[in-house]
Amino acid sequence: MSIKNLFRYWRTVITVAEITLRHQWNDSFILFAVLIQPMVIAILALFMLRGTGDNYAMFVIVGSGLTGLWSSLLFISGNSINGERWQGTLEALVAAPLPFDVIIFGKNLANVVQSLLSMTASYLLAALFFGYSLEMTLPLLFFSSVLLSIFAFISFGLIIAPLFIMYRGIQQWQNAMEFPVYILAGFLFPIALLPGWTTPISYILPPYWAARALHETSTGAGDLSTIIFAWGMMLLFSFIALFVASKLFKLMLYKARVDASLNTE
Amino acid sequence: MRIITNNLRLFWQGTLLSYIALFVWLRPTTYIASKVLMPLAQILFFSFLGSYASGGTNVDFYVIGNAIQIVAVSGIFGVTLSIGGDRWNGTLPYLFGTPANRMMLFFGRAFMHIFDGALGVVIALGWGALLFGLDFSQTDLFALGITILVTTISTCGLGLMMGCLSLITANVMFVNNTVYFLLLIFSGANIVLETFPNWMQIISQMLPLTRGIASARLLISGSSLAEVTPLVLGELGIGIIYGWLGFYLFKWVENQAKRKGTLDLV
Repeated sequence: MSIKNLFRYWRTVITVAEITLRHQWNDSFILFAVLIQPMVIAILALFMLRGTGDNYAMFVIVGSGLTGLWSSLLFISGNSINGERWQGTLEALVAAPLPFDVIIFGKNLANVVQSLLSMTASYLLAALFFGYSLEMTLPLLFFSSVLLSIFAFISFGLIIAPLFIMYRGIQQWQNAMEFPVYILAGFLFPIALLPGWTTPISYILPPYWAARALHETSTGAGDLSTIIFAWGMMLLFSFIALFVASKLFKLMLYKARVDASLNTE
Repeated sequence: MRIITNNLRLFWQGTLLSYIALFVWLRPTTYIASKVLMPLAQILFFSFLGSYASGGTNVDFYVIGNAIQIVAVSGIFGVTLSIGGDRWNGTLPYLFGTPANRMMLFFGRAFMHIFDGALGVVIALGWGALLFGLDFSQTDLFALGITILVTTISTCGLGLMMGCLSLITANVMFVNNTVYFLLLIFSGANIVLETFPNWMQIISQMLPLTRGIASARLLISGSSLAEVTPLVLGELGIGIIYGWLGFYLFKWVENQAKRKGTLDLV
């Protein structure tokens, strides 16, 4: 997907995101993925990591919020094309005179933005229920990291959706893909705990760089140079993800037209 | 004698067919992903988190806790979907229309999941031994087997009750997922129960898994069956209570559905 298309069709992106948000607020599974699961993980981590450092509560809030972001991306964005297929609207969307990946970008934008509620809910939980006095160390840099993370997660999600629809075999592993990214991206513990051979895998995951930037800006664990480095890596892998996604979308639509399999299970 | 034979046949057929129906649409890869790799990923995540929290000194606590907690995949999701499947597939009116023994019919839905869940725990403990060096040299394996079986039965008891909820609510996956994750907190799989406030400890004691996990930890660290018998019996008792509550809820749902004509209403 080209960045040029994003600017050209920005109104489409916003409209799709708005409709997706309105549509999804009636879905109880979204309530679970965005609010309940991250809060349960936050409670567990707050109990488990108690006493591991001065800023552990803020670390847990950001980390558990990120778990909500990833779960939402995996289960909701991953099924975004299948969702249109099940509702019988996929053919109309593909035939619409605008790039199909722009529509999926708008849907992912909605999913990622609503998933930010995870972090807010965890923050309220820690502050009100556990009584923590929480202070953001670098608020402006944190806010910038949030914006870049939204872009990174959306870009990563654009790879997942066409993969799930073209290769059904991959979607069979969906349930098993949730925790590995929590682990490899270092949402709630440093990846230094993991075996060394997993580190390169972590480095190519945009969620890892998002977690690093968000943790460093919220707890003050990093200096400006490490934060900017994390931003740079996040952007680099996001653009790579967008490039790969554009090829996958072309391939998916080509296959669908050749095999006439757009609406077949 | 004939009644007993018929009921046993009904029990076995209900057991087998509901289990096959649940997995017949799945490929082996889906089963492996849900029952082998997802549990592995959960154990890895919480064990690494626990290792980080404890400075690497108490990893066995998390490995054992999460390995036993895996029974909830079969006990909650499997059993609930076996019962709720009749509603989604439109066979509930036929089921309620038969003169079949309701107890055989109801408890039969959980039977295969007991063995399936116990197998899941064995696999999970195997992962623990392989990846985290969980040591069974001091363990009474027979007693551990009994603990796993009883814990699976008690979790399936909760699953039977949850399954009845799937007959009256459309949000069954929301309820199931929420209960599954709450068990991660309250069962003591990842947190020492004594660190909870009193009200949370009381809830923990009212749930399945809590005593089973405690018993498994004691057995693996070298305790005997006699020492964990009160825990195992308590776990079994909790499971029976939930199972019976589920059975009476099932009968109530049937009664209400017939009175109000609301069979299959979603």
